[in-house]
Amino acid sequence: MITFLIRRLFQMFVVTIVACMLSYGLLYLQPGGPIDQFLAERQNSGRNRVTEADLQRVLQRYELDLALPVRFSRWLIGWPTGPIFGSIGANWQVGCAQPGQVRLRYPDGRVEIVEEGCAIPVTLADLEGREASRGVLFGDFGESQTILRDRPVTELIWSRLPYTLYLMGASILLAILIAVPLGVYSAVKQYSRFDYIATTIAFIGASVPSFVFGVFFILIFSILAKQAGLPYLPPGDAVGTRDYYIPLIGNVEAGSFLDRFLHFIMPCAVLTIINLAGWSRFVRGSMLEVLQQDYVRTARAKGVRERLVILKHALRNSLIPFVTLLAGVLAAIFGGALITETIFNWPGLGRLFIQSLGANDYNVAMALLLVNVILLLIGILITDILYTIVDPRIRLS
Amino acid sequence: MATTTTAVPVEEARRNRSESQAAIVLRRFRKHKSAMVSLGILAFFLVLAFLAPFVAPYPRDEPNLNARFLTPLSTDAEGNFHLLGTDHIGRDTFTRLLYASRTSLGTAIFATLISSTIGIVLGMLAGYFGGWVDTLISRTLEVVASFPTLPILLILSAVAVQNINVIPVPRPILTLMAWSFAVTEREAALITMIIFALAILGWTGTCRLMRGMVLSVRENVYIESSRALGASNARIMARHVFPNALPPMIVDFTLTVNATLVAESALSLIGFGIQDPTPTWGNMLNFAESYMLQYPWMPLIPSLPILLCSMAVNFIGDGLRDALDPRQKA
Repeated sequence: MITFLIRRLFQMFVVTIVACMLSYGLLYLQPGGPIDQFLAERQNSGRNRVTEADLQRVLQRYELDLALPVRFSRWLIGWPTGPIFGSIGANWQVGCAQPGQVRLRYPDGRVEIVEEGCAIPVTLADLEGREASRGVLFGDFGESQTILRDRPVTELIWSRLPYTLYLMGASILLAILIAVPLGVYSAVKQYSRFDYIATTIAFIGASVPSFVFGVFFILIFSILAKQAGLPYLPPGDAVGTRDYYIPLIGNVEAGSFLDRFLHFIMPCAVLTIINLAGWSRFVRGSMLEVLQQDYVRTARAKGVRERLVILKHALRNSLIPFVTLLAGVLAAIFGGALITETIFNWPGLGRLFIQSLGANDYNVAMALLLVNVILLLIGILITDILYTIVDPRIRLS
Repeated sequence: MATTTTAVPVEEARRNRSESQAAIVLRRFRKHKSAMVSLGILAFFLVLAFLAPFVAPYPRDEPNLNARFLTPLSTDAEGNFHLLGTDHIGRDTFTRLLYASRTSLGTAIFATLISSTIGIVLGMLAGYFGGWVDTLISRTLEVVASFPTLPILLILSAVAVQNINVIPVPRPILTLMAWSFAVTEREAALITMIIFALAILGWTGTCRLMRGMVLSVRENVYIESSRALGASNARIMARHVFPNALPPMIVDFTLTVNATLVAESALSLIGFGIQDPTPTWGNMLNFAESYMLQYPWMPLIPSLPILLCSMAVNFIGDGLRDALDPRQKA
């Protein structure tokens, strides 16, 4: 067990670093990025023109003047912050503040300017005194580059986290509360009309993409209902911006509990349905398997009431694999639902991730990705450990 | 054989003798009504996708600002009939939907072909040879499988979209893609990158399944006997291991096509993935969604094909699973 844990923790560490390196490399390999706006403004003329010096300052601010490996290491562990051990390699070049230009004169008289070499190199000594994060591995995610410029990424995440937490939490809880009884009842009444209908609906529900559900929900419950003069649900966001009137319910004050609740219903319903379809099928399958076990027959044979057989003997055992399935939910709760949040304009972490990619705010995107990877890995680890706890026949090696 | 014939009805057993394996599977599949209907639906969209350049009534990207947001079955000022109406800049929706079928289904099928090939080859090598080959492949698999797929896919796609002009895609591939998707080579570059991104993240499930299958097939006596007859590893893998491990892979293929189709549509829907003017069901839905408050019929048009195809592929997979499973009662 201990060897297993050590090996797994090491593996988790490697996966995290590899995932970060890949995404960080990919994001920062492209030209521009967080300074795209500045580059665009550089074209402007007039008083607010961005000069070469401004650009250099911004590059330095976002560490874009450093070579990728150095930048990555400073982002990850906040090192190096200056010459190594205070003196070694003070004049090692670690980046370039301004690329050198070479004028090429062709024999036919054309002149072309190409970037080559480095006009203003950045050395390790230059790094001293620069503001640096302590490194994401030590909990410092740096500062947002475009979305909330120069505010800490953590602040941005904390402001969005509650929305994701209560959306994901509520939908997962609802899905469990519905899926378990549904699955159990289907299994107990196998091949009954109820079972047939429930399995068919679950199968269809599982094959409809979440965004199609989302769009249809908005269409039916917001737009068509509103046009028909029926009570409708607001189609997007988490709170209304101004008061509105809903038939039969009356005036809804923006920001009130009712307003928030109305906004909450649709995204929550979509996420619940998505999980519900898969989970009820899962519970049904594992319940069917358990009902065929000898101990269930024994319990019945010795005259235990059917209700008790199902609830006490069968259900508890059938939920074992289900419990391990839920461990994967950890990452989902934090990561939010990228697609559903986007469709409903829900200000959670999933949409923040998409927003940050769209706005080239790489610090935010990388922070969210890192947390997501770590939680996913912890989820997998918990699943494996839970397996050994609920089924002692399984040994980790 | 004696043990299997006792398990199936006598009549079927008699038929089995003269029937090939494929014919049995086909017969079982035909009995699956929902799968047959689904096959019809999917075939319909595939034919539309295939014929798109020939049956499309109008040019794909021609805007007409005097005929924006026309409702289905309406005629614009110049007397042009629009079967499914027009979009936000007056392009004919039916035409775009035809081309979108080609892009969406094509992308899903291409990406799945690549990812399944990677998965099957790696899974077979890992399962058959074991040892360090298995260790290497399994560890890589674990690493890739523990990435959060959608976020990484989004990053890959975002980078591809922004740098499509500098990413060197080999010429022959571009030409092939441009021809298969009926698009210009410029558009084909992005489609190629998206296919690549979907494939590179999608092979893990197939690989794991194949490895498991090969591990169990490998232990059969016929493998041992062909080895005793002096067959090479390559021959054993190609003639015995691969065919016997294939059935679950076919089911897996359909389910992966579905997952890829949905992933690609979701990407385009949130503004990443394949970009306008190349139509996909996802990005058509993206635009339709922005105008759905005023024109509620708009999102129905691209979302119905996604819904139908996704369900159809799932039902086909279900039917195939039943047809291919030998333990199944016929």
